[in-house]
Amino acid sequence: MKHKLGIVITAVIVAVFLVVAPVDAQQTRLIIGAVYVGSINDFGYNASFHQALTQVAKDIPGVKLVEVENVPETGESERVMEGMIQQGAKLIFPTSFGYNDSARKVAKRHKDVSFAFAGDGATMRNFGVFFGQTQAAMYPMGVGAGKMTKTNKLGFVIGMPIGYALGNVNAFQLGARSVNPKVKTVVVVTGGWADKAKEAAAANALLDQGCDVVAMHVDSPATVIQTVEARGAMSIGFQSVDARALAPKGWITGIGFTWTPYFKQLANDVIAGRFRGEAVYKGLGQMVAIAPFGASVPADVQQAVNQAATKVAQGFNPFTGPLTDNRGSLVLPPGATVGSDQMGNMSWYVDGVVGKVR
Amino acid sequence: MTTPLLLGLIAGAILSGTSLLYATLGETIVERSGIVNLGLEGVLLIGASTGFAVTAATGNAWIGLGAAAIAGALANLLFGWLVVSRKANQPASGLALMFFGFGASALIGSRFIGAIIDGLPKWRPSWLADLRWVKSTTLFNYDLLTWVAIPVAIAAWWALFRTRWGLGVRAVGESPVAAYAAGRNPALLQYQALAIGGLLAGVAGAHLSVSLTNTWAEHMTAGRGFIVIALVIFAKWNPLRAIAGALLFGGAEALQLQIQARGSLISPFILEMSPYILTLLILLLWGGSRRLAAPAYLGRTAYAME
Repeated sequence: MKHKLGIVITAVIVAVFLVVAPVDAQQTRLIIGAVYVGSINDFGYNASFHQALTQVAKDIPGVKLVEVENVPETGESERVMEGMIQQGAKLIFPTSFGYNDSARKVAKRHKDVSFAFAGDGATMRNFGVFFGQTQAAMYPMGVGAGKMTKTNKLGFVIGMPIGYALGNVNAFQLGARSVNPKVKTVVVVTGGWADKAKEAAAANALLDQGCDVVAMHVDSPATVIQTVEARGAMSIGFQSVDARALAPKGWITGIGFTWTPYFKQLANDVIAGRFRGEAVYKGLGQMVAIAPFGASVPADVQQAVNQAATKVAQGFNPFTGPLTDNRGSLVLPPGATVGSDQMGNMSWYVDGVVGKVR
Repeated sequence: MTTPLLLGLIAGAILSGTSLLYATLGETIVERSGIVNLGLEGVLLIGASTGFAVTAATGNAWIGLGAAAIAGALANLLFGWLVVSRKANQPASGLALMFFGFGASALIGSRFIGAIIDGLPKWRPSWLADLRWVKSTTLFNYDLLTWVAIPVAIAAWWALFRTRWGLGVRAVGESPVAAYAAGRNPALLQYQALAIGGLLAGVAGAHLSVSLTNTWAEHMTAGRGFIVIALVIFAKWNPLRAIAGALLFGGAEALQLQIQARGSLISPFILEMSPYILTLLILLLWGGSRRLAAPAYLGRTAYAME
């Protein structure tokens, strides 16, 4: 009996390996490997990469996509990337910041494979880094929220108080204040990028305190947007422009990543043999886009948001001094700016933000 | 309009505490029968993902809730097969069940991530909805699970302490050999306790996914299964005390968020730790006292009854 069970298990394992046979390399010009930290259907961060790469595979003939979801940010990701290379992948997208060490190790072992890492750090010949700059793009979001709010209290749910998240909050408040001098932005930190129950509780807490527009910086905006929608308040989306579907009534607008043009360029570079690892950071108009407006947003608000977006796309930096933090000290003297390369070091909330960094 | 801190706190405590209470009741019944299920985190996840997946597939949150309860019971029965029939080590089997739950829930839920569902319907009596401070909060705007949470706790207490079945379960937890000698079937009673505990854990998980958040994400329970194991100790294995415990822990989670939303001067990092500091304090204060002792045979394996 035991032997039979063993035979059956072996047969099943063999069958699984046969079904997951290596990708046919005949008419394939490039195999792209994508490593995701979450699910590709999250209406958020991972969905943005999946959609862009799917589009690349559709538009460039002979490009095939190998995707692995829910890969932990441990040595496991190294094995996943090695597996992709064994399947013939020549361009790999480690799409989460935590893959940094593993991806670099694999890249050093395989000089013939190109890597495009969604993060920062040094580049190598076969290892480029890239990311979208959301911070300045949050400025027009703040304009929309500042015009729509009736209570003059905006809410912002963030996972952890890292510089990039603080930058999003600050640009949001600066944008809101540019159209509404009385407005405040209240920040709630949940302590994780994907603790759904806490995100719901955080959104509820903000609404309890009278906020009527809620924005967020977490992995998937779905929970916050749905919680806010159920209580009849308004939301500003993040990570993916598709999140509008979650809030038919309260959606104002949102920002999402648009990676497709850059990823297409990378794929063509690898096919042509001219890939060189570079650091590429682009903001609104290139790697970041504004989502369609909700049905309830009046035309003048849409116009104000679009104007602010154009201003940012043309190079306006919301982080230009003089700026005071929310404890009253001058953090940026007149004329000084925080460039997008210094965003990770931001450690203060701008005047008008209700919250404490640490 | 801003809500007074206390009202916001109570509203948040009830929302966060509902799922904790169901899970605590389930684990209390299981532990009363002498079994520690450290895999509760995994069972909660299986409940959450099954509930969400079935709701998304059928379009009916009630069917999803029922499926979650059944899935939770099945997971606990699997655990029972290991620790009751096969007499495997309970903590080790529990941890294995937890990791099984991580994987199984991810598998069940993977196709449904991003699905948009209508969660359990909420209902608020109209005479309450017009009260000044109630209108602007989630107070009294609850689904059926929240409305009946306290009656369910009373029913669990009654079943454990006022029925012959409950006497049997508690006897097995204190001394399986004595219960066996008295003509009870310890294994059967433990399986029954596990099945009921699993039903409640499945419901607790589903409350997170098909009512509180209307989303499924991997590991979305975020350690609540372990908080519940501490809560059972806090409640001294008593379903009625579990009501206070669940509200206290739900309140600790709500408090840190409410305080932040009011603009506090306390570091968010310290606030985040508060539910876990509370857990540590309770284990510290309650620990080692004979008066508050656990079921005598808790976590031990009984032999010599075949």
